Amino acid sequence: MKYFRISLLLLIFPLISATSAHKFYVSITKIEYVKEKKSLQIITKIFTDDIEDALQQRYDPSISLDTKKETETADEYVQKYILQKLNIKVNGKPVQLNYIGKEYDVDMLVAYIEVANITDLKSLEVENKILMEMFPEQQNIIHLKTPNSRKSLMLDKDEPNGVLKFN
Amino acid sequence: MRLFNSFLLTALFLLAGAVSAQDETDSQKREPGHYNTNRFKQLYEEFSTPNMFRTASGAPGPSYYQQQADYVMDIELDDKNKKLSGFETITYTNNSPDVLEYLWVQLDQNKRAKDSKSPLIEPSDALPGDMAGNFVKNYMGTPFEGGFNILEVKDAKGNPLKHIINQTMMRIDMPKKLSPGEKFVFSIKWWYNINDHVVDRARSGYETFEDGNRGYVIAQFYPRMAVYNDVEGWQNSQFWGRDEFALPFGNFEVNITVPADHILDATGELQNRKEIFTKEMMNRYEAAQKSYDKPVVIVTQAEAEAASKGFSTAKRTWKFKAENVRDYAFATSRRYIWDMMAVKMGSGSVIAVSLYPPESNPLWEDWSTRAVASTLKTYSRMTFDYPYSKAISVSAKNQGMEYPMICWNYGRPDKDGTISDRTKYGMISVIIHEVGHNYFPMIVNSDERQWTWMDEGLNTFTQYVAEQDFGEEYPEAIAPNKKYPSRRGPAKNIVDYMAGDQSQLAPIMTKGLNTYNFGANAYAKPATALNILRETIMGRELFDFAFKTYANRWMFKHPTPEDFFRTMEDASAVDLDWYWREWFYTTDYVDIGVKEVKKFYVTSKINTEARQMMEANGIKESDLPPLVYFVREDSEDFEESMRNVKIEDVKTLKEYIADNIPVEERANLKNPSYFYEITFEKPGGIPMPIILQLSYADGTSEKITYPAEIWRKNDASVGKFIASEKEITKIEVDPDEETADIDTSNNTWPKRKKLGAFDQFKNKTKTD
Repeated sequence: MKYFRISLLLLIFPLISATSAHKFYVSITKIEYVKEKKSLQIITKIFTDDIEDALQQRYDPSISLDTKKETETADEYVQKYILQKLNIKVNGKPVQLNYIGKEYDVDMLVAYIEVANITDLKSLEVENKILMEMFPEQQNIIHLKTPNSRKSLMLDKDEPNGVLKFN
Repeated sequence: MRLFNSFLLTALFLLAGAVSAQDETDSQKREPGHYNTNRFKQLYEEFSTPNMFRTASGAPGPSYYQQQADYVMDIELDDKNKKLSGFETITYTNNSPDVLEYLWVQLDQNKRAKDSKSPLIEPSDALPGDMAGNFVKNYMGTPFEGGFNILEVKDAKGNPLKHIINQTMMRIDMPKKLSPGEKFVFSIKWWYNINDHVVDRARSGYETFEDGNRGYVIAQFYPRMAVYNDVEGWQNSQFWGRDEFALPFGNFEVNITVPADHILDATGELQNRKEIFTKEMMNRYEAAQKSYDKPVVIVTQAEAEAASKGFSTAKRTWKFKAENVRDYAFATSRRYIWDMMAVKMGSGSVIAVSLYPPESNPLWEDWSTRAVASTLKTYSRMTFDYPYSKAISVSAKNQGMEYPMICWNYGRPDKDGTISDRTKYGMISVIIHEVGHNYFPMIVNSDERQWTWMDEGLNTFTQYVAEQDFGEEYPEAIAPNKKYPSRRGPAKNIVDYMAGDQSQLAPIMTKGLNTYNFGANAYAKPATALNILRETIMGRELFDFAFKTYANRWMFKHPTPEDFFRTMEDASAVDLDWYWREWFYTTDYVDIGVKEVKKFYVTSKINTEARQMMEANGIKESDLPPLVYFVREDSEDFEESMRNVKIEDVKTLKEYIADNIPVEERANLKNPSYFYEITFEKPGGIPMPIILQLSYADGTSEKITYPAEIWRKNDASVGKFIASEKEITKIEVDPDEETADIDTSNNTWPKRKKLGAFDQFKNKTKTD
């Protein structure tokens, strides 16, 4: 049982500040539109222990990430979870996200996702609900880069999606 | 003659533009004037005027004072009912020049009282759903009966004192005003229900182990004096739960009564060790005092496990004394393993200690005490010799929190003994961090209620230095990594935060309660700013001396942000007003790039541009002194033959050298034949040094750093004209990612697209 996770939903005023290496609930997703490859390249960084908790609660309490106990099934769950929580519309239409793989960077899980065949980018709608069902204060930050602009979105449970328009 | 030449040149090339600009504005409406908005403007408006308490150099002034609060306390833990009660006598000394009408005492436990206002200042919204257990607790259960029960407040003669409680602050009205130099003695009797810190995510409380035993990490447990000083008056800003503490120094005599089978450690020196320790424990303790390379176990895992099976109803009192500490805390459980190791400190030694349950092994027995020892060494090198006798690391399930000489730290193996890298590094990092807090803010006693960054930022910076040292001291702990994988400190790690949505950023100089992203704002950004200051702006030698000066000036005193800013400049002669302003007072970010590079060649033949300027100013070519002209590669004056021109082919130069340079010196002259005008752009607000790496056709390279002051007159773009003997093939700004540049796509010439992280990963997975 992960008491403290459950209690977080309870806690209106988290005492997370007391700690050092812990604990602010943030993920960062970088989306880059590479026009010559007609590709939306997505890199999302999520705290490993947070997503591990989400997967354990959802699918299987024995799931272990970034340890010797990690199995191939775990990777499938990571993929399943991320693709369920991250949705993108390009020019108003939902697009298919191709999960390429993941790696670990200290305490972060870094997942790589691609959307292919994007010939023109007029608008981009991003919905990122990753970990919001776990932590009410989860913030998912989106940084978007196109050949001629940079934009950011801060998504939280009140506003889990946002639209960026390009002229 | 010389004068004339310089004048002509100035008139011709430099003033030409200015004069024509003047003509233009004359015919238009004049622009209004403006205030000084220069990024290099002095910080006089942000800083208060230095005075007799705090000097302009950043040191304590001749009238600096601080209050003293001494405590004598009897504390008792009721393990069965999870209650803590106490009787304390406070002797408060008014060292200020002011007459005090009343005293303020902090009641931090009231943050958990049923009528606490902390939950009321947090907006809440409907969740899509909630767990059944939470629903029952939130909407159907009764809230925790937390908070202080103040039974009596009395003066030294035992007469009740008038007092009023406003949330987490209690005002004590003294029978008569307290004059400078006077002492006031009073006592408080109290009790409270101890909270489950695991459920609460609190800084103190108990956790229940699977066998039903509890581990208590107890802090903020007694009514504590507030700080009175020259900058805040009474620091009685409420404890909402986030911004930590402001506490005066004092001496403590504390008797703590717990079940007889508990193992306990606390702030201060144990006075009745012989009464409490068995002979075996005493022998081990004596061995630990001489063990500098590995911890000696005082209470073994087997002994802790055996004790865990009982529940003693007998009591035992642990007696401690602590001098010159700002706070007091202790940890107690019958399930604790206890180990210690000696650390050389100055001419003597101090002791590194760990307390942990069997749940924390294997891991804590290997690294906790060693991490404590390593931290003390690094921090003492960066500041001052650790002045206390010991530093304790206590294993708490999921929190890290610091007190004088003692702290709680998370990080335990999985139940099957698996230790992931993030558990191990998380545990070592949090121990380094929390033990490091002994220096900031326990000894360099800043006001955490007001300025979170002053202890968290300085401490997270020093933590980075200590983590790197730990990696060097214990390579086997970090293998296969070659360097300790620090999360906070390196410049590039702060880029994601600083590039974020501006509506969600706050300057570092913001009260913690009012920041959006607390961890990045109060810990990571100031730590990174200091790391960049050390590595890139000041250099280690100047920075380390100034940082150490600050620590020593304010050791056992109460500094403000200005005292830090002023000292860093005072001890280094590096003008840092611009750095403090940009990094600490704004949410600006760094983005510097190469905008344009133009190539030039030299000739003695006048070019079109120069001719036009000359004619516009009514000067004849024959009036000019001998000149060397630069011809841009893409201009109409450029001729292919110029490419191979050598310096000695330029007539005017050749003549000048023949007339002015003695023959024997000519061999020493450089022979530049490649000329470049580099234009740098600064889309970001923060001016930073331009760290330029020039790569040459012969495969060599060179680094040039232009100080940040290059931006003082033009905040958007600046140029540099470079004369080189070798052809430049590549120009790169900030090649080692040391400035936290948020966009590196404009950092190179010729524009070269680096293979991004995405493509690198994709290529790697393809080949796998």
